[in-house]
Amino acid sequence: MAQKGDLLLQMTGVQKRFGGAIALRGTDLSIRAGEIHALLGENGAGKSTMLKILAGVHENDGGTITLGNKPFQVGSPQASIEQGIAVIYQEPSLFLDLSLAENVFIGRQPIKGVGIDWKAAQDEAGKLFKELGVSLDPKRQARGLSIADQQVVEIAKALSMNAQIILMDEPTAALSASEVERLMTVMKNLKAANKAVIFVSHRLDEVFAISDYITVMRDGATVSQNPVANTNLQTVIKEMVGRELTELFPKTTHKIGDVVLEVKDLSNPAFFRNVSFNVRSGEIVALAGLVGSGRSEIARAIFGVDKYETGSVKVKGKELKKGSPVAAMEEKIALVPEDRRQQGLFMIAGVNRNISMESFPNLVNRIFINFKKERALTATWKEKLSIKFADASASVDHLSGGNQQKTVLAKWLATNPDLLIVDEPTRGIDVGTKAEVHRLIDAAAEEGKAILMISSELPEVLGMADRIIVMREGHQVTELTRAQATQENIIAAATTGKVA
Amino acid sequence: MNFLSHLRPKGREASLGIILVLTMGVTGIINPRFLTGDGTRDLLSSTSIVALMAIGIAPVVIMRHIDLSISSTVGLSAWMVANLCAHHKNFSWWQCFVIAGLIGVAVGALNGILVAGLRLPALVVTLGTLYIVRGLVYVISNSVDYNAQEMPPSLLAIGHHVFLGLFPLTFILVLIMMLITAWFMKYRKPGRDCYAIGSNPPAADLVGIKVFRRTFLAYVFSGFMAGIAGVFYLIRFAQVDSTAFYGQELAVVAAVVIGGVTIAGGSGTTVGAVIGALLVQTIQGALAALGVDAFWKSAINGLLLIIAIWADRILARKSENALLAQRIKERA
Amino acid sequence: MSVTTPDSTTAKKPKFRFTWDTSILLLLLVVWVAATLTTDNFLSTTNVSQIFSNTSEITIMAFGMIFLIIVGEIDLSIASILALGSAMLGWSYERGTPIWLSIIICIVVGTLCGFINGILVTKVGLGSLAVTIGTLALYRGIANGLLGTKTVNEFPDYWTSFGFDTIGKSWIPQSLPLIIILGIGFGLLLHNTPFGRRSLAIGQSPEAAKFAGVNVIRHKIIVFTFTGFMSGIAGVIYTFRFSTAQADNGVGLELLVISACLLGGVSIFGGIGTMWGVIAGVLLAGSVESWLTLREINAQWRTIVTGILLLTSVAAPVLINKAKARRKVTKSL
Repeated sequence: MAQKGDLLLQMTGVQKRFGGAIALRGTDLSIRAGEIHALLGENGAGKSTMLKILAGVHENDGGTITLGNKPFQVGSPQASIEQGIAVIYQEPSLFLDLSLAENVFIGRQPIKGVGIDWKAAQDEAGKLFKELGVSLDPKRQARGLSIADQQVVEIAKALSMNAQIILMDEPTAALSASEVERLMTVMKNLKAANKAVIFVSHRLDEVFAISDYITVMRDGATVSQNPVANTNLQTVIKEMVGRELTELFPKTTHKIGDVVLEVKDLSNPAFFRNVSFNVRSGEIVALAGLVGSGRSEIARAIFGVDKYETGSVKVKGKELKKGSPVAAMEEKIALVPEDRRQQGLFMIAGVNRNISMESFPNLVNRIFINFKKERALTATWKEKLSIKFADASASVDHLSGGNQQKTVLAKWLATNPDLLIVDEPTRGIDVGTKAEVHRLIDAAAEEGKAILMISSELPEVLGMADRIIVMREGHQVTELTRAQATQENIIAAATTGKVA
Repeated sequence: MNFLSHLRPKGREASLGIILVLTMGVTGIINPRFLTGDGTRDLLSSTSIVALMAIGIAPVVIMRHIDLSISSTVGLSAWMVANLCAHHKNFSWWQCFVIAGLIGVAVGALNGILVAGLRLPALVVTLGTLYIVRGLVYVISNSVDYNAQEMPPSLLAIGHHVFLGLFPLTFILVLIMMLITAWFMKYRKPGRDCYAIGSNPPAADLVGIKVFRRTFLAYVFSGFMAGIAGVFYLIRFAQVDSTAFYGQELAVVAAVVIGGVTIAGGSGTTVGAVIGALLVQTIQGALAALGVDAFWKSAINGLLLIIAIWADRILARKSENALLAQRIKERA
Repeated sequence: MSVTTPDSTTAKKPKFRFTWDTSILLLLLVVWVAATLTTDNFLSTTNVSQIFSNTSEITIMAFGMIFLIIVGEIDLSIASILALGSAMLGWSYERGTPIWLSIIICIVVGTLCGFINGILVTKVGLGSLAVTIGTLALYRGIANGLLGTKTVNEFPDYWTSFGFDTIGKSWIPQSLPLIIILGIGFGLLLHNTPFGRRSLAIGQSPEAAKFAGVNVIRHKIIVFTFTGFMSGIAGVIYTFRFSTAQADNGVGLELLVISACLLGGVSIFGGIGTMWGVIAGVLLAGSVESWLTLREINAQWRTIVTGILLLTSVAAPVLINKAKARRKVTKSL
């Protein structure tokens, strides 16, 4: 059993590259028993890569990792578990039909005589839940459990396998305030049992409330490692955002026109409440905030993919029909969704068919699709957006992320929308293409389109937006003009709900 | 005993039991002949066949698969056994069971290889084998039928054993099979693996469950039980032709689903499957006793099946809504 | 990384690809050659006429089914719909309804059955596999309840001749022009209209289709409904072709229709399929059957052949893909 303060894990100069991209360029991290260790950094800082190396999903290219006094055997998730490292993901995948006790012991059910000893399994699981400070009935079915409780079951499972180090990847992103509190209790109890907890979070208030140690990462390297007493919110934010705001964002100023979109008191109680804002022609408005703060759900409600409960959406002064993407498209709204592979594209279809999907009214001669026009449409947008592909009918699955994203943009720009909603427009694409996408969005605003942009990347938000609405846990915290906004005050508002 | 308390019907099984008793009671009041010793014996003995098959496919359905080939397997095993008996006069009852079991295992193994090995959609595969196996019966039988004279007396005698004047031996055998499988599914790891696989297939792979082996064996078991059901068919009807038990797979699927083994996988018990089979047969029998034409039988089977999956859907939706309400409350 | 070859191919016509639906055409050709060599009159006009006539219901139902499988659903109740429509036709005609009205009743009943399937699957949210097994039994059961073991077989000559006569002295069955028109119509619908594209899109990704402004639920209801409609038409043709309305009309035809679709390269997982492939698939099934008949192979073998065709049609694409993947791996080594 580890004693409090024992060094459990030491990473020095760990490097990892994916093809040409460097994800980690010399990261250091030391973790001790009986410690809650927060890992902070903006999107793309390398936190996830680090966790995945420890989880056995990736192998590091350089640097050393030691566990206690033994070198860490990088290999498989199985190997990591055997070395006492357990990972709790944001969305655990339990067996919903089985009892909690069985979920904890699946594949390792205790045996007495010829059969499974259910009583022992239940008692043992109950004991683990009690140790974690949570009252869950081990006999109940996992179905209907909240995400937080599902995570607790995963943690109990990790403990039953003798995990010493528990990694949690943004465990609180999808949780409500009371659920977060519950999870924090669990973390404290793990700490009391001399386990080491590493957790990634963007919610800085809770980070300061619970962690003993804070490591900040930026651009694949460790910026600072401090006991929580030696640092403070302002310092941490500064360390996180030290990223340069380069000329990546060629924002130009354009003429701002009439109101195109007017959202009033919009509520979908499970996700967001009383949201009101408007977007004018030629204007770029950003919805900033953490993942899970209700931003994407607002976009979905406006576009009609989801329904909302109360409030109204008006487009150019006219009330928009609720829950109907068809009506939204008729009012010239376009939505470039956050997940291009699942929501934006038909992966087995070619660029051709993807681009024409929303433009049929312009391609149809009475009943039939005019294939010549369809090809011309593809050619036009291929040229305009310089999308690179060899065969317009070959599956878009073979394209790079950047070219896929441009294809999604193209298909919606082809509908000539008045309001363009872009949700995480540059997620997972390379730097060069990012700049191109920004240029395209800027050009669309220049043409007089109203743009609503959702983004988790602060430099992108600051670089592109005329106005910034900050969301936190489904509520609008504040609205900032381009002049007022800084990385610091956006992070502060998004993570603590306080307006600086 | 401890394990009996765990097997005690609860929830779904209990409410089905109540419906069962009500159906019997009401029908009995309207038509007293329905509840006589003869009527009950007949009901239980005809339920035996369906119930045995229901026990067989329960693990398959729990794993989120399906086996539609079973009634063809019953036909094949019944005809083959009768044929062998006709040609070997000294065949005894246990040899019939062994042969039938082997035939069933062979069909099950074919299904298992196609579904588990090639990962083909179970429904299409077992529809295909349904046809192939039935076609096989047509071809080898060449329109030859068999009846009581050609069957071993020791086999037919099984049908005459009745306990307490009400429970045919075949039904007792079904109950024993039910208890053994229920115990296995609850207390042995391979049984639990079935639930895990049906509940969350990718996660089952991740925790190292041998998905191929379990799926394959489930199909073999399903085929085996259908094979044995073929002998039960002979015991009950004492005659067989190439269309024996044709088209009855739906009655079995309906029984299992009504008994609480959800089509979506991951839940249900063999006890429920047997109660479901009893209920389906009772409703059929009750309608007959109430003077509803036998021609409506298939329509009733279909309707029962739709109602059963509809009920499951409503329950699932209820739990989704509860979760959403909880989320709304916490967001406030 | 990305495919960044500068391209000059946008205008180039897609080159011929050796895909499943082209290989099925080859297979069809092989069967024809083999059948012609091993029998005396496989390609005689009477026999060809027979093949077309025998496959007319399957073809018509396949035109609906291809859309259903493409949107990622399935309907196992089509043969029961055919039977129920046929039973209604006979039942109402026997009671003095004018024949044209009985025909309309048959088609309307079919359409309604399809609509009910659609509602159960989309609005109620039940899996199409399970629920159409239920309606398979339900619809046929109603036909059974309606007619029992009775058959109705006194129909006006004009209509029964539509079922099995040819046009004038030619070899062309009277129902063939109708099938050709429907085939062209549905082919265009699938490949040349937004409706067809949306069907493919739904099958490829229902989520993405929703984000592309497709009303997925309504679309699926429409597809279920017209599959029912087509089964109703097939019911009319079946009734007249055999000059019988009875409850067990067309038992098991759903399997032939599904195997024809899958043989024709429609993916059982949705999102992929061509009308050409399906027509080739139907002709292949019909030709094999005719070949067996001409070789005087026991009719009972046909059940086995149906099953084997079905298994082949699901297993072959999977096995081909596996082989392809293996070849790719060895190549890259």
